[in-house]
Amino acid sequence: MGYDMELTALILLPFFGGIAALFAGRFGRDAERWVSIAALALALVILILAFLTPGDGRWIAFERFDWAPSLGMQVILAMDGLSGALLVVSLALGIVSVIVSWKITEHSGLLNAALLWTVAASNGVFLSFDLLVFAFFWELMLVPAFLLISVWGHGDREAAALKFLVFNAVAGLGLLAAVFYLGASGEVVTFDAFEVAERDIPHGVQVLLLLGFAAAFLVKLPVPPLHAWLPDAHTQAPTAGSILLAGLLLKTGAYGLFRFPPMLFPEGFATLAPWGMVLGAFGSIYGALLACGQTDAKRLVAYTSVAHMSIVLMGICGGVYFSLMGAGVEMVAHAFSASALFLLIGALYDRTGTRDLRELGGLQQSAPRFAAAFAVFFSAALAMPGTANFLGEALVITGMFQVNWIFASITLISLVVSVVYATRLFKRVVFGKARRSGVVEDLTAREMGPIVLLAIATLLFGMLPQLLMGALEGAVTAALAPVAGP
Amino acid sequence: MLSPYLLLLLVPSPPLAAFLMLGLDPFFLRRRAVQVLALLGGVAPFFVMLPLAAVCFGGECHGVVPVFTLAFGQSEVALALLLDPMSTLVGLTVAAVGAMVITYAIDYMSDAGVADLRRFFALMNLFLAAMLTMVLAGDTITFFFGWELMGLCSFFLIAYNTGLPQAVAAGRKAFIITRFADAFLLAGLLLLFLEANSVRLDVLIPAGATMTEDRHLVIALLLLAGALGKSAQVPFHTWLPSAMAGPTPVSALLHSATMVAAGAFMLARFSPIVMSEPLVQAIAAAFGVGTAAFGALSAIFQTDVKRLLAYSSISQIGFMVLAVGLGAPEVAIGHFVVHAMFKSLLFLAAGDITHGSDLGTSMKAMRGAARRRPVAYVAYVAGAASLAGVPFITAGWWSKEAVLSAAWNTGPFGIAIWALAFLTAICTAVYAFRPVLEALLPEPEHRSRAPHGHPLALNLHHRARIGSGFITVPLVVLATGSMLGGVMVAPIISFLGAEVPHAPHLPALLAAMAPFAGLIGAAALTFVPSLAAAVEGAHDMRRPTRLDHKFQIWVIEPYIRLIRWLSRDRRPRDADLDFERQVRLIRWLSRGARMDGVYQALVVRPFVNLVRWLSGHRGGGVDPVGSAPVALALRLTQAVVGPLAHDRFDRFWMRSANRLVRIWVMARAIQTGRSRDYALGLALGTAALLVIAWGTTWN
Amino acid sequence: MNAATLSILLLLSAGLFATGFFGLLARRAILFQLISLELMLAGPALGFIAGGAYHGGQTGQAMFVLILILAAAEVALGLALYLALRRVADVEDADTITRLRH
Repeated sequence: MGYDMELTALILLPFFGGIAALFAGRFGRDAERWVSIAALALALVILILAFLTPGDGRWIAFERFDWAPSLGMQVILAMDGLSGALLVVSLALGIVSVIVSWKITEHSGLLNAALLWTVAASNGVFLSFDLLVFAFFWELMLVPAFLLISVWGHGDREAAALKFLVFNAVAGLGLLAAVFYLGASGEVVTFDAFEVAERDIPHGVQVLLLLGFAAAFLVKLPVPPLHAWLPDAHTQAPTAGSILLAGLLLKTGAYGLFRFPPMLFPEGFATLAPWGMVLGAFGSIYGALLACGQTDAKRLVAYTSVAHMSIVLMGICGGVYFSLMGAGVEMVAHAFSASALFLLIGALYDRTGTRDLRELGGLQQSAPRFAAAFAVFFSAALAMPGTANFLGEALVITGMFQVNWIFASITLISLVVSVVYATRLFKRVVFGKARRSGVVEDLTAREMGPIVLLAIATLLFGMLPQLLMGALEGAVTAALAPVAGP
Repeated sequence: MLSPYLLLLLVPSPPLAAFLMLGLDPFFLRRRAVQVLALLGGVAPFFVMLPLAAVCFGGECHGVVPVFTLAFGQSEVALALLLDPMSTLVGLTVAAVGAMVITYAIDYMSDAGVADLRRFFALMNLFLAAMLTMVLAGDTITFFFGWELMGLCSFFLIAYNTGLPQAVAAGRKAFIITRFADAFLLAGLLLLFLEANSVRLDVLIPAGATMTEDRHLVIALLLLAGALGKSAQVPFHTWLPSAMAGPTPVSALLHSATMVAAGAFMLARFSPIVMSEPLVQAIAAAFGVGTAAFGALSAIFQTDVKRLLAYSSISQIGFMVLAVGLGAPEVAIGHFVVHAMFKSLLFLAAGDITHGSDLGTSMKAMRGAARRRPVAYVAYVAGAASLAGVPFITAGWWSKEAVLSAAWNTGPFGIAIWALAFLTAICTAVYAFRPVLEALLPEPEHRSRAPHGHPLALNLHHRARIGSGFITVPLVVLATGSMLGGVMVAPIISFLGAEVPHAPHLPALLAAMAPFAGLIGAAALTFVPSLAAAVEGAHDMRRPTRLDHKFQIWVIEPYIRLIRWLSRDRRPRDADLDFERQVRLIRWLSRGARMDGVYQALVVRPFVNLVRWLSGHRGGGVDPVGSAPVALALRLTQAVVGPLAHDRFDRFWMRSANRLVRIWVMARAIQTGRSRDYALGLALGTAALLVIAWGTTWN
Repeated sequence: MNAATLSILLLLSAGLFATGFFGLLARRAILFQLISLELMLAGPALGFIAGGAYHGGQTGQAMFVLILILAAAEVALGLALYLALRRVADVEDADTITRLRH
C-alpha cells in the first residue's frame, strides 16, 4: 500500500475545479463549463486508472494520513467496488449535470461550482472511513445542494430548499451524536471505523447508536414517512439539481446503510433490520401509489424514487447475498434511469414551459427521438428485463424469498404498480395529441449525448451484469459477515 | 470444433439487427429501405431455423449453446439457448408465421407515413426477436427476458395509433394485466432458481419436478397463473379483445398466433413440474376447458370480426391449456402449431377483406368479399374450416381431435370434460362460419362514412399497393398449411415423444359431426333475418331483442323448468323477472362476461380512489404519511415555543434592550465629528490610563 | 551618560510631545496639525534614543527607526488626505469636516 494520492485527488479535484469554475467565467465564454468538465473528466480518468492498478483484494485503493492526531482525527479513504461504482456514477452524473445546465447563464460560475462541490462532497462520503470526516462530508453535501435549489430552482424554491435543509440537517444531528459517542467511548479517542468496528459495544447501545445513524440515512434515502422533502426538492430544483439529488444524494443514504450498520453494529442491525424491511415494504407500495396520482411529471418521477429506494432499503435490510447484491445493483441502476427521466422532463420543460401531464402529449408525432429516449427509460422505470433496474429488483425479490415471502410479494406488487405509473407517464407525454404544449422540437445533439450515455449504462449493466456485480462482490460479502479493514 | 447449434444464436439476430437499424435514429431511411430491412429481418429467421430443424429431425436434437456464464456468489448463472424438439417445432412455427405476417404487413401498412412505418416494423422485428429468444431459451433468465420484451412490444404495438385514446387505453390495459400475471411467473421462476440453484432449464425442470415440498405446489400454481395471464385465459382474458385496437398484422402475429399462445407453450415447457402436482393439473384443465367454452360462447355473439377472432383465440388457447392439464403437453404443442397457422391466416384474410372499409372491422364489412377479394375469401374459408375442425381435410380437426381424445381417455372426469369440449367445438364451428356466410350477403347499399370508420380510408377500393404478391403469398402459404398441416399433427406429437391419443369410434364420430352442426347454427344466425337482426342488436342495451326471446324459449325456459322440477318449487313464477334475467345473461356473454366491469369495480376503481385520496384529490391531505412528520414537528414547535414567546424573561430582555437604546442616544451626543475633540479625548483617556497604572503600581 | 543627562533629555522629549500636542489641539489648519503630529512623534523618539544610550542597548535605536518609519508613513497618508480634501471639498479647517459622524 503506497502513499498514492488518487483517492484524495478524487475529492479535491472537483472541489478545486469548482473554485476555478467560479472565476473562469471572465476568461472566455463557457470557460467555467469547460473547466468543470475537465476537472470531472480528469477525476474519472484517475478513477479508472485506480481501477486498473491491482489492489489488495478487499480494497482497490486505500489511503490513511493524520489530520489532527490529538483529537483522534485521521483521514482514511478506502475504495472498494461499491464505492468505485458509486464514484463512477457521481462523476458521470456530474458531467451530465454540467452539460444539462449549459444554457443557464444566471450566475453560471457559481452554478458550476455548486455542481462540482456536490460531487466532491458526495465523493468524500463514498470514500471516507473516518467517521468524523464522513459526517463532515455528509453535512457538507447539503450546502451546494441547498444553493442549487434555492438559486436556480423553479416555483416555490426557497421553501423547498429550506425543507430539504431542515429535514437533512436535523437528521444529520443523529449521525453526528452517534459518531461523537463512538469516537469518545473507547480508551483512545479515535474515529477510525475499522477500529471502532472491533469494539465490543453492548447490544442496547448498538441499537441506540444505529438509530442515530439510521435517522440520517433514512431521511436521505428517503423512506416514508421521512420523504416529505424529496418531492418538493426534486420538483423545484433545476434539472441538474434534480439529477444530482436523485442520482447522488439519495445514493449516499443507501451507501451509508449498506456500509456502516452491518460493519459497526452487527447485532443491533440484526435487531432492527426486520423493521427496516417493514418500512421498505411500506415505502415501495406507498411511493408507487403516490406516483400514480401525480400530475406534475417531475413529482411523479420523484415518488418513483421513493419507491425504488425503499426497495433498496429492503434489500439492504434483508441481509442475504442476493438481496444485498440486488440493493447494490438497484442503487446504480436507479441513479442512471431516474436522472435520465429528470433530464428528459427538464428538456421538455425548457421547450413547453410546463410539466403538467394534462397539458403535455403527442411527442411520438412531433419528436420521435424524444419519444424513443422516453421509451428506453420508461422500460427501465418499470424494470424491463435487460435493464439494470430489472436485475436489481429481481435480485432483491430473490433475496426476499429467502428471508420472508411476504416482503417478496410486496415487492412484486410494487413492480406491478410501477407499470401503472410508467404507462401513465408515457401515455400522457408521448402518446395522444399535443395539447397546450404544442409541437415540440426534437432533442438536440447536446441533449442526446448524456441520454445516450445513460441509456448505454442502463442497458450495459442490465445485459452484462458481471461488470457491476463483480465489482460489488467484495462489499456484499463484507456486509454479510463484517470483517475488519487493513 | 464449432457446434452446428451455434446457428441458434443467429435465429433471433436478424430481426434484432433490423430493429436496431430501424430504431436507431441517425440513419435516414427511405420508405423502400425501411420495407426491405423489415422484410429481411422478418424472413431470415425462418431460413436459419430450417437447417437447424433438419438437424433436429435427423435425430441430433439436444443442443445447448451457452451464451455467457455469471459467477453469482455460491451459485452460477449460465445463460444459454436450447434446441430440443419442442423449441424446434415452436421456433419453426413462430419464424414461419412471423415471416408471413411481416411480408403481408409490407403491403398492408404501405399507406402509413415513413416515421410510423419505421416504428411499426422496428417493433414487429423486435417482437419477433423476443419471441424467438423466448422459445429457444435454455434458461429462465433468457426465457423471462423474451417473455417480458414481448409484453413491451405488445404495449407499443397495440397503441400504434397513438392518437386514438382507446388504442392507448387498450395497450395500457394489456400491459398492466399481463404484467400482473408475469409477477406470478417471476415469483415462480425465482423460487425454482432458489430451489434448484441453477437457471438452466435442463437442470431446473427435473429438479423442480422431483422436489416434495409445499413449495412445489406454490411454484406450479405461480407458473400456471403466469401462463393464464399471458394467454388471456379466464379470469385475465379481458385485455385480448381490447387489444384488437392494434393494426391487423399485430393482431395476427402477437394477439393470436404467437405471443398469446406463449402461455400454453410455457406450460408445456414446464409441464414436468405442473404434471407432478395433480391438483394444479386439475386446475389447469378446469381453467382450460372453462375458458374454451366461455370464449366460444362469447365469440358467437360478436359483431366485429376481429373481436370474434380474439374470443376465438381465447377459446383455442383454452384447448391447449386443457391439453397440458390432461397431461398431454405434446398435444398442446401440436395444437399450438396448427392454431398459429389458421388463426394468423384468419386475421390476415379478414384484414385484407375489411381493409379500408368505412365499416371498420365490423362483420358487415365482410359482405361481398367473395366478389371483391376472392383470394382472401377462399383463404378465409380455409382458415374457418380449419378452426371449425372439418374432418380429415383440415389440420384443425386433427389437432382438436387429439385434444378431445386425450380428454376422453382420462377417465370419468375426462368424459365430462370431453362433453364440455364437444359443446365448445360446436360453438366454435358456429362462430367460425358466421363471417364466412356473412360474406355471401350483398354489400350494404349506403356508403356513407361511418363514424368509427378506418381513419385512413376514404374509399373501399383505393388502397396504396406495392404488389398483390405480398398479400397473396402469405395467404396461400398459410391456407395450404391450415389444410394440409393435418398430416403433420401425428408426426409432431410422436416427434415430441408421445403417442397420438385415440378415442373410441363413437366420440370420434360425434366430434366429426360438430362442424356441420355448427355450420347449421351459423347459417341460422346469418340467414334467418330475425336472428341476424337479433345478434346485431345484442349490443344495444335498452330493449330485449328477438334473439333474447329465442334464447329464452330454447335454452332458458327448459332450464328453469328443470330446476323448478328438481327443486319441487311450485310457487308461481314471475315471467318478466326471468326474462329480464336471461336478457342480462346473453348480453353478459356478448361482452365477455363483463369481466371488465368486475375488474373496474373490484380493482381499478378502488385503486384509483386510493391513489386520489393519497394525492389529496378527495379530501384529506396530500401525501398523508409524508406530511405527518412535518405536521408533528410543527405541532411540537408550537407547543414548546408558543408559551415561551411572550413570557417575563422575554419582556425583561426587551426592556433592557430598550434602555440600552436610550443610553445609546445620549452617548451619541459626545460624537462631534471634530478630529481635535477626539484627539483631546484620546489624550485624556491615555492620561487617565497612565494615572490608573501609576496608582496600581503604587506601594 | 549619567542619570542627570538622561533626566534632562527625558524632560526635553516630554516638552517636545507637549508642544506638539498643544499645537494639535490649538491649531485648526490641517497642515499645522500634521506638523504638530510630527513634533509629537519626535518627543518619544528622543526618549527612546536617550533610554537606549543610557542602558547601552540597541533596542532604543531600533524603536527609533520604527518610529521614523511610522512617521514617514503617517506623513505620507496625512498629506495625501490633505491634498484630497483640498481638491474635493476645498477645506483647510479640520473642524469643518464632521460628516463621518453621521
